[in-house]
Amino acid sequence: MSGAPRQSFDKTRKDGKRVAGQQDFGVPGSGGSSPQSKLQNIDNIPMSQGGQKKQPRGPHVHDQHITGTSIGKRTPLVDSNWKMTGQARYGDDIRLPGELIGKILRSPHHYATIRSIDTRAAEALKGVVAVATGKDSVNSFGVLPVTKDEHALAQNKVRHVGDLVACVAACDEATAIEALSLIEVEYDILDSIHDMEDGLEDSEHPIHDRGKYHIGESNIQKRVFQQFGNLSSMDEAAASSEADWTFAGLHHGFTEPHAVVAHWDPTGRLTVYTPQQVPHYLHRALSSVLDIPMHQINVYRTFVGGGFGGKSDPFPHEMCAAILARKSGSPVRICFDREEVYWINRGRHPSRIQMGVHADDEGRIAGIETDALIDGGAFASFGHVTTYYNGVLHTSPYEIGGFHYTGARVWTNKPASGAMRGHGAVNSRCAVEVGIDEVSEKLGLDPMTFRLANLLPPHSRTITGFRITSTGMRECLAKVREQSGWDKKFRNLPFGRGIGVGCGFFISGSGLPIHWDPENFPHATVHLQCDMDGGVTVHTGAAEIGQGSDTAIAQAVCEVLALPLDMIRIRSQESDTAPVDLGSYSSRVTFMNANAAIRAAIDLRDKILKATWELIGYHPDQLVLGDRRIYYKHDPAIGVSWLEAVHKAQADSGSLIASGSYRTPPMGGVHKGAAAGLAPAYSFSAYVAEVEVDAETGFIKVVKAWAAHDCGKALNPLAVEGQIIGSCHMGMGQVLSEEMKYGRNGHLMNPDLLDYKIMSVHEMPEVVPIIVESNDPEGPFGAKEAGEGPLLPILPAVCNAVYDAIGIRPDELPLTPDRVHKMIEKKCKELEIDDPLELPNPSFEPSALQQKISERAEEHAERDLQRDLLKDRTAYVNGVLFGFDPELPLIEQDEGWREAITPEQEDLIEDGKRAARAWKHAERRHRGDD
Amino acid sequence: MRMPPFVLHSPKSITEAMSIAETLLDIGEDFDWVSGGTDLLPNYKWHLNTKPSVISLAGVEEMNRLSENHIGGMVRLHDLANDESTHPLIRQATSTIASVMIRRSGTVGGNICLDTRCSWFNQTEEWRRSIEWCHKCDCDTSADCRVIPNQNTLCVATYQADLAPVLMCLDATIHLVSPSGSRSMPIQDFFELDGIKRNVLAAGEMVSHITLPEDAKNWSGSYRKLRLRKSWDFPEAGVAVAWNGTNDSLQGLRIATTGCESIPRSHNEEASSVLKAWDGEQSVKELGQMIRGVVKPVNNTYFPPSYRRKMLPVLVKRAFSSLIEGAV
Repeated sequence: MSGAPRQSFDKTRKDGKRVAGQQDFGVPGSGGSSPQSKLQNIDNIPMSQGGQKKQPRGPHVHDQHITGTSIGKRTPLVDSNWKMTGQARYGDDIRLPGELIGKILRSPHHYATIRSIDTRAAEALKGVVAVATGKDSVNSFGVLPVTKDEHALAQNKVRHVGDLVACVAACDEATAIEALSLIEVEYDILDSIHDMEDGLEDSEHPIHDRGKYHIGESNIQKRVFQQFGNLSSMDEAAASSEADWTFAGLHHGFTEPHAVVAHWDPTGRLTVYTPQQVPHYLHRALSSVLDIPMHQINVYRTFVGGGFGGKSDPFPHEMCAAILARKSGSPVRICFDREEVYWINRGRHPSRIQMGVHADDEGRIAGIETDALIDGGAFASFGHVTTYYNGVLHTSPYEIGGFHYTGARVWTNKPASGAMRGHGAVNSRCAVEVGIDEVSEKLGLDPMTFRLANLLPPHSRTITGFRITSTGMRECLAKVREQSGWDKKFRNLPFGRGIGVGCGFFISGSGLPIHWDPENFPHATVHLQCDMDGGVTVHTGAAEIGQGSDTAIAQAVCEVLALPLDMIRIRSQESDTAPVDLGSYSSRVTFMNANAAIRAAIDLRDKILKATWELIGYHPDQLVLGDRRIYYKHDPAIGVSWLEAVHKAQADSGSLIASGSYRTPPMGGVHKGAAAGLAPAYSFSAYVAEVEVDAETGFIKVVKAWAAHDCGKALNPLAVEGQIIGSCHMGMGQVLSEEMKYGRNGHLMNPDLLDYKIMSVHEMPEVVPIIVESNDPEGPFGAKEAGEGPLLPILPAVCNAVYDAIGIRPDELPLTPDRVHKMIEKKCKELEIDDPLELPNPSFEPSALQQKISERAEEHAERDLQRDLLKDRTAYVNGVLFGFDPELPLIEQDEGWREAITPEQEDLIEDGKRAARAWKHAERRHRGDD
Repeated sequence: MRMPPFVLHSPKSITEAMSIAETLLDIGEDFDWVSGGTDLLPNYKWHLNTKPSVISLAGVEEMNRLSENHIGGMVRLHDLANDESTHPLIRQATSTIASVMIRRSGTVGGNICLDTRCSWFNQTEEWRRSIEWCHKCDCDTSADCRVIPNQNTLCVATYQADLAPVLMCLDATIHLVSPSGSRSMPIQDFFELDGIKRNVLAAGEMVSHITLPEDAKNWSGSYRKLRLRKSWDFPEAGVAVAWNGTNDSLQGLRIATTGCESIPRSHNEEASSVLKAWDGEQSVKELGQMIRGVVKPVNNTYFPPSYRRKMLPVLVKRAFSSLIEGAV
């Protein structure tokens, strides 16, 4: 709201009449931080509406709702003062009168059956009010309806060190801890599984039993096969990169440990206070675990001290608190110690990924072959989805000749893996992008140009059927190329210093609401309520987890209504008052909730304009919403204050409420698994990293990163930049230092923040955040996600920069100095060099093909622009680059083209693929068992 | 996570501290000294060898004395790193210890007496229960060492403090005080090769101060350490070197290591053998290989021992860079 008055108009008119839009009106009568109504800032009004805001990619359907109030302005998050002043209440800050402290007894064994639990001594201890075991929680739950394999407390088996066995509620923490030591548990230890490859084999005691759906007697939780395209194109490739990657498991490393307070109020209703990303899933799980209807539960999301996917499962300790509170009749608070946070985990899967990237002699990507074996730990969590994501989320941004994916997720006796920022896409993305660099090198191509010549255009379809709407991929690459000085630096830096590029692609909201049919219920709903004071209360279930969801929704509402941000009040914490919402995962909030908020705000606006019409006689089409004032567009003096209009609307209808919702359009393929990775829009990003590698020690220092992210439209550039920089920090942690280390007997060796090495400020380079706005046609004001996608490219950018620096292509993360040193030693041995400082510095000689793909990249740039502006509306599917007709099914145009989701025998004969081995087992139901 | 309760004693002088210690010894009550608390208190939170009584030295003013040749046991690392009178080598090394926050609390005495560390030991009580404890904190189970299995006679936990090798290179003397009197010794004699015993301190004895010889100012040197992050992380290997003279006419040479074994060690033999035929860069290379040969890390810290060992020659080379290149 800081827009300067327009300069282009003269304030006086010769005829003595008022100049339109130039008056500062008096007290608007409806509060707000400024006593005067501000003029509309036409710099922020898009050109399609007669303003000054340029629209290089054309107009947007929401342009007419832009009032120039907030969208696109750097806006501090609306809840930041709470945090900065220490008044924000996180999970463990909730204090209810008469609270008890809950503590959890955990398994000391990796895998064991429980023979007996004796809680008598604990119950007898003075100060202990309640003790619970598996008997108190027999109902299972899980984040996905298809894999409900968790219980609040172990039933008959413990599945990893740290698995929950029993819990107590006592008058204080010391007593609770003492009580735990009095619980006697007898175990029969079972052979545990730690290596994910062992999970592929039959086992005497599979970690879970899925009955007739169980895959053989193995520990395979999920397997995915997808083949799209013509495999022969890969066989005939001119250049190939084959790599076998090892990715360590990661934890989110959020600041706030899990904490929960459960309280059965005097009316018999349960309130659970918890820092949850997805309160609705918890709501459902609590209902089924506790056997009470959902309407008897209020899930209260406290401030969340970081989530990153690690607080999106319904958790057993949340159930424990509710069970203990029910048993004791008092509120129960449980707060985790840091190692308990690691034991509940849900971090990034440890993965072994075999990645083949093939390019043909025209510099096209003939195919991508991926085999991903991922280590799920002891429970399913989101793993069903992760298994798909490891494949399907690297079918873009490039046009590819074929895609062959085998993926499997196995149970092991480790803390469960789950969803973490960039869910399922990060590791295989890194492998693909490094592979692309390698084939570029083999073909004598600049990897930047190679990428630019192989991008899918806007308004196209990926090989597996995802619908691409907007894409700013090309602009991202162009910007980082220019700003990093790529053309001068690539392969020209001295030995030990290097530059690398990586791209990314991520969903902007999962297209399928896993708990219901999108035909029946929307993905997101927002209710608005406006009372006599004129302020607008927003009810939403979108979970503010620090990413700025409250702010984005407030901005969307205040933009449409032209109100100052401080007149918008967000109520997003309680399920009692919030409409059902899927919460903060899959980078859905901005896209889905802001869309719902815009619709609700339009609904409210229409009511206000109708009231204004009755007050001043001008039809809503002729009215402008200014700052707390609604006026006739040709004479701003004719108008009413916001408050007058609100009061009139209330007088007419008795109450002023509005509602809006969002559902995804029908889209995607029809094959099984087609919904995995399907999103209403996708974000794109390209990063360049410059690194220094100390060849003697193996230390890598990222010197600078240029990070371009296409978020469609930056509703709040400040928040988008924060997400980009934060993502870089997190991604660099994964590429350089973070890992969950398991010792020789399977123990997690570093469940603490000293040895789980998150990068410190010393390791963090300068990051240049570059926002690219591709103006998504369905995004709110054009926006897409910015919370997860920005993490993906930093990993391959660093890996590729390491190659540029010392000529070694990594295939293992994190690149800790000892690992890098080993790679350097190996290379020295291969080349028979004693001093690593004498390793050859990689160089670049462009081949004849370089010119050709440069030209293609330029042609494609023009093609993309025409499609962006909707001047070219022809269909485009992955395959056009290879000569296919987009109007006909590809399968009809090429005999070798195949679209399969179940493997044929010959698909699985290839030796050495890991996840593919998952198909050597038959599901029990298919082999005649029941 | 809760610290177990303990009785805190806060003497105002060394004499008072000694009398408290004597009383506790008399009644057979086990106790720990605490100075800055940055090492002891996290260990207490993890219930590692906790004691019923703790004597805090925070109020003992006389131990704060700091001058060119005298460093009180209670001098904060931050002050040591920033005091003009501090020897440049000590200043350089101290400024790399842990992080700013920890240096503002941690002390010289505490750093020298830092408990040895091990990835099987520095864990929570629940975690250690799941491995059925270890030799260094066996909870009366006579548990084996988890690093070198099937033995529980020697603890191989690693000494990961930075000051000791530097003080060794400056030929410092350490001064101890106990209820039965005081004694002094060269600092290299202070440490004992066992991760549990760690040093010569007897029950009730503590480090009162360090002194440097008069000629310390004639010695220059450098300290290099290996750690993943530039802040906070403990040294995975550390090399201190000091020399007297220039590359062309080198009169004295000392080298000491830390972060690799249960004790910090000075390597006088190796130093004098290369000094005899000093040939600049080549000698540094030889010395690096010698150190690599004699220092034997085990697998109980963040980096694998083979890597830590291989980095020793690199650290040696870099520690000598200013001597070789003639830089100050």
